[in-house]
Amino acid sequence: MMARRSSLHSALLHGFMLLVALVCIFPVLWMSLIALKTVGERVTGFHALTISQPTLENFRRLFTLIPLWSNLFNSLFTTIVGTGTTLFFCSLAGFAFAKYRFPGRNGLFYFVIATMMISAEAGAIPLFIIMRRLNLINSLWSLIIPRIATAVGIFYLRQYILDVPDELIEAARIDGAGDFGIFRRIVLPNIKPALASWASITAIVRWNDFFWPLLFLNKNSKYTLMVSVSMLPVSDGLATPWPIILAGTTLVILPAVLYYLGMQIFQKSGSFAGAVKG
Amino acid sequence: MTGAWKKYRIPYLFISPFFVLFLVFQLIPVVWTLYISFTEWNGLGKPVWVGWDNYRLMAQDYMVSDALRNTVVYWISGVAIILLLALLIALSLNSPRLRFKRFFKTTTFLPYVCASVAMGLIFGMLFDENAGLINEILAALGGPRVPWLTKSAFAKIPVVILFTWRIIPWFTIILLSGLLNISREYYEAATVDGAGTWRQFFSITLPLLRHIMFFCMLTITVDTWKMFNEPYILAGPGSSNTSLFQLMYQYAFQTFKLGYASALSVILIVILLSISVAQFVIRRRQGEV
Amino acid sequence: MPGKQEAELSARESDMKKTLVALLLTAALLVPLSAGGSKEAGKGPGGSKVYPEGDILIWATGQPQFRKMYYQAFLDRHRDIAPKVNIEVVSLKTMAEGQQKLAMYALSGDYKSLPEVIMLDTVGVVELSTAGLLQDVTDYYNKIADQFVDGAVADSTVKGRIFGLPDAVRPQLLYYNVPILKKYGIDPAGMSTFDGYYQAGRQLKEKSGGEVFLSYVDPGNWTWRYWGRRGLMPQAGARIWDDQGNIVIGSDPGTKLALNFFDKLNTEGLLYKTRMMQQPIYEATDSGKIATFYIGAHWAEFMRKNLTRTAGEWRVMNAPVFKEVGKGGAPVSTFFCLVDTKTNEYTELFKMLWYDFQTNIDLRNAWVAEMEKLKGPYSNPVSKAMLAHPFWQEPSPFFDGQSFRKAEGDGLANPSKNMMVTASDAEADIIISAELEKYIAGEQSMTQAIAAMDRELKLKVKKAKLP
Repeated sequence: MMARRSSLHSALLHGFMLLVALVCIFPVLWMSLIALKTVGERVTGFHALTISQPTLENFRRLFTLIPLWSNLFNSLFTTIVGTGTTLFFCSLAGFAFAKYRFPGRNGLFYFVIATMMISAEAGAIPLFIIMRRLNLINSLWSLIIPRIATAVGIFYLRQYILDVPDELIEAARIDGAGDFGIFRRIVLPNIKPALASWASITAIVRWNDFFWPLLFLNKNSKYTLMVSVSMLPVSDGLATPWPIILAGTTLVILPAVLYYLGMQIFQKSGSFAGAVKG
Repeated sequence: MTGAWKKYRIPYLFISPFFVLFLVFQLIPVVWTLYISFTEWNGLGKPVWVGWDNYRLMAQDYMVSDALRNTVVYWISGVAIILLLALLIALSLNSPRLRFKRFFKTTTFLPYVCASVAMGLIFGMLFDENAGLINEILAALGGPRVPWLTKSAFAKIPVVILFTWRIIPWFTIILLSGLLNISREYYEAATVDGAGTWRQFFSITLPLLRHIMFFCMLTITVDTWKMFNEPYILAGPGSSNTSLFQLMYQYAFQTFKLGYASALSVILIVILLSISVAQFVIRRRQGEV
Repeated sequence: MPGKQEAELSARESDMKKTLVALLLTAALLVPLSAGGSKEAGKGPGGSKVYPEGDILIWATGQPQFRKMYYQAFLDRHRDIAPKVNIEVVSLKTMAEGQQKLAMYALSGDYKSLPEVIMLDTVGVVELSTAGLLQDVTDYYNKIADQFVDGAVADSTVKGRIFGLPDAVRPQLLYYNVPILKKYGIDPAGMSTFDGYYQAGRQLKEKSGGEVFLSYVDPGNWTWRYWGRRGLMPQAGARIWDDQGNIVIGSDPGTKLALNFFDKLNTEGLLYKTRMMQQPIYEATDSGKIATFYIGAHWAEFMRKNLTRTAGEWRVMNAPVFKEVGKGGAPVSTFFCLVDTKTNEYTELFKMLWYDFQTNIDLRNAWVAEMEKLKGPYSNPVSKAMLAHPFWQEPSPFFDGQSFRKAEGDGLANPSKNMMVTASDAEADIIISAELEKYIAGEQSMTQAIAAMDRELKLKVKKAKLP
C-alpha cells in the first residue's frame, strides 16, 4: 500500500517536472530551430517544427545587417565592468552595515531598503537630461555608473557578511590590518559563494538590459547586442525575415545560456541556493 | 562632531557611493519629475505651468484607466501564478524522491537567462492568430483559433504568460534556498509524531517560509508595476494590454507630452509606495517584521 | 538636520533653474539662427575648400549602410577636398523615431551627438523646422529646382522655406497577382476605381469560396498608417483638422468616404487579418491567399526580399480613385535634412554628395545594379534627366516583365495632396489608430470608431499646433 502510494507520488512528481522542463526549454529550442532554417522556408503553423534545408547562412547575414562585433564588445564591456564594480561597492557597503557600528546605521539601512521601491525608470526623462549634463550620453559608462551600488546588492551581501565570524575580523585588527585590508583579506574570501551567485545574477541582468541602452545610446556602433537585435524586425525600410531575427536572438541568448550552464557544471549543485536567508 | 567623523569615517565612506548615486540618479530625477508633472512641456521650449491640468486629464483619459486596470491584473495574476508555481517547483526540486535533479534544476532556470525582448518576439510568433504554433495545435485538437493578441479580451494573456515564464525560475531559486534552510529534523520529528505530508507542509514548511514569501511578494509587486518589455513587444489592439509604465513611456518618448507623462510617473510612484508600505504595515500588524 | 535639507532643496532648485535657463537660452539662440537662413555663401561643387577631419553622421531608415557605400565612394573620389572625412550611418526604425531622438538630444543640449543629416518625412520636417533644428536650404535648391520633378519639395516646404532635400518621391500603387486575377476572371483594368476594386474583391471571395482575399488588414497600427493616412484618406480629400487646427474628423465627409469604404471591405470579409511586415503575411501571400496590395512603392522591396513562390507573378498599376474625387494616390516623400548642429562644418560637402547621388547617372545606375544583387533597397530618382534614362525603364523579372521603375514614375501622375501635417499629428496618429484597432478587433463599429476619434482628439489635443 505504502509502496503503491509512493510510486504514484513519484510518477506525478516526475511527470510534473518533466512538463515544467518542457515548457521551459521549448521556446528556446524552437528559436534555435528556426534560426537554422533557410530564408523562404515556411515557418508558420506546423512548418515551424521542421527544417528542410538547415543552414548557418542567417548568422552570416547578421554580420552584414548590424555591427555585430562592436555590439558584442559593448555588451561584454557593460556586463563585465558593471558586474565587477557593483560587486565591489555593494560588498563594501554591506561590510559597513554588517560589521561596523555607527550612528544612524539602522535608519540608513532601512532607507536603503525603502529605495528598492522607487524605480529609477520612473524618472527616465530627467535622468536623460542629467546624463547629458554629465556628458555621458552615448557612452557605455552611462549604463555602469548609476548602478555601481544597488540596494538589492547591498541587502543581499550584507546578509552573508553578517555570518563572517567577528573573531576573524578582530584578530586581523589586532594584527594591525587596516579596514580596507580586512575587507580584502578576510571578508571577501569568506563570502565567495555569495559573490559568485550575485555576480551571475547581475551579469545576466546587465547582459539582457534593454530599456537603458535604448535610452542612452544613439549610434549603431555603440548599441549593445540586445538593442541591435531588437531593431531587426520592424521598420519602414527593413524587412528582416524571421529566421534571421531569430538567429539574432539566438546569438543574444546563447552566451548567457552557455555561461549559466558553465557555472552549473563547475559549481556544486545548490550553490545558487542560499540566495536569501531568513 | 569632528571626533565622531574621525571615528566613523570608514563606514560612512564605504556606504557613501550608494547614497551619492541615489541622490543624483534617483532622487533628483524623481523630484524633478514631480515638478514637470505640473507643467506642459514638449521638451524643446520652456515648461509651461498648468497646475493640476495633467492630473485632471488623467481622470478622463480612458487609456490611463485601461493601463491601470491592466497593470493591476498583471500584478495580482503575477503574484498568484508566480508564488504558486515557484513554490510547487521548488518543493519538487527539494523532494528526495526526485531523480535527475541536476537536469531539472538546470532546465527550469533556463527562462530567466533569456532576454525578455528576444523571448517576446518568439512568443509573438508562437501566439500569432493565423500562423502561430499554439493555434495550430489547438486547431489540430479540434479547438478554436484563439485571437490572442488581436482581441482586447485575450490580449493580456500572452503578456502574463511571457512575464511569468521568464521570472518564475528566479523565485524558484529563492524559495528553494529557503526550503533548504529548513532542517530535516523538523520533518523527521513530525513524521515520528504521526503527521502526514500535507500536515507537515502547512505546519512546518509554510510558516518557516513566511519571511521569504513576503520578500517575494514585495519583489513581484515592484516588478509587475515596472513592467515594460513584455506588453511593449506583445502589443494588443488599442490599449488592451498596455501597462502603466509603458503608457508613460509612450507619452514621453513617442508624443513628447512630458508634463503628462511625468504626471503618470508620479501616480506610478505613489501607487507603488502605497502598496509596498501597506504590505509592510500588514506584516507588522501580524507581528512579523 | 533642517539646515541640511534646506541646503539640499535650494541646491536642487538652483540646479533646475540653471537647466531651465540653459534651455531658454538655447531656444533663444536657435530662433535667430534659423530665421537668418544658411550662413554659407554657396560654393559650387568642386570648390577649393578643404573639409576638416571627421565623420558625416547620417540618420536614416531603409538600411542606410547601402547608401553609405555610395557616399563613401564619392568621398574617396574627392580626397582633395575631404582628405579625412568619412560617412557614418545610424539606422532608424522609423523616421518618427529619428525625429524624436533628434529632438531629445537637442533638448538636452547635446549638440555633439546630433547627426549632420537626418532622413525625415513631412511630419518630421514640419516639427523639427518649427523647432528651429533644421537648416534652411531654399536658396540652394531654388537654383537647381528645374532639374528635378515637380513637387519634389512640396512636402518639405514650411511657410515658403524649404528644409529638406528630396531623396525619394514614391507613389501609392496597386500591386496585383496576375495568375490569381486571371483564374477568377477579374480584369485588372476594372480596378482603376475603388468601386471596381471592391467588386473585384467580392468576385474573388465568391469564386474562390472565401479562400482568396482581396487584400490584408493589420490588427496593429500599420492599418491606419498605410490604409488610412497614406492611402484612402488623402485620396478622399479627408481632413483631421481644418485650416485653423480645429478638429473636424468626426464631421468631415472625406473621412466618412474613406473609412466607410474600408469598413465595406472589412465587414464583407474581403481582407485577410494578419500582421503587416512579418512572416505570416509573406507566407499567406506566397500561398495565394492575398491577391492585391494597395500600398506605397516601397512595398516592392519587401516583396522581393520575402516572396519566393509567387515571384514573377506580380504587376503594378496606379492606385484606384474615388470617382467622386477623381484624384490618384498621394506620394510619400522622404527628405534628407541638414541639421543645425551649430558648427555645421559639412553642410556644403553634403549638398555635393546629395547632388551627385541625384544627378550622376552612370554611378547611380551602377549602384542600383549592385543593390539588386545584394537585395538592398532603392527608389526612383527625382531628377528629370536620370528618370528619362533607359535604365529606369528596364523590365523587372519579379514583376512579370513589367518595368517597375517606369511604373513607379507613372504612378506619380494626378496625385492627391497629403493630409495637412501639424505638430500634433504624432499624438493624433496614436489616438486614431487605437480606435481603428478596436474596430478591427470587432469591438466597435466604424461609426463608433470615428466618433471616438473625434471625441478623444478633442479631449486630449483640443486644437492642433500649427506650424
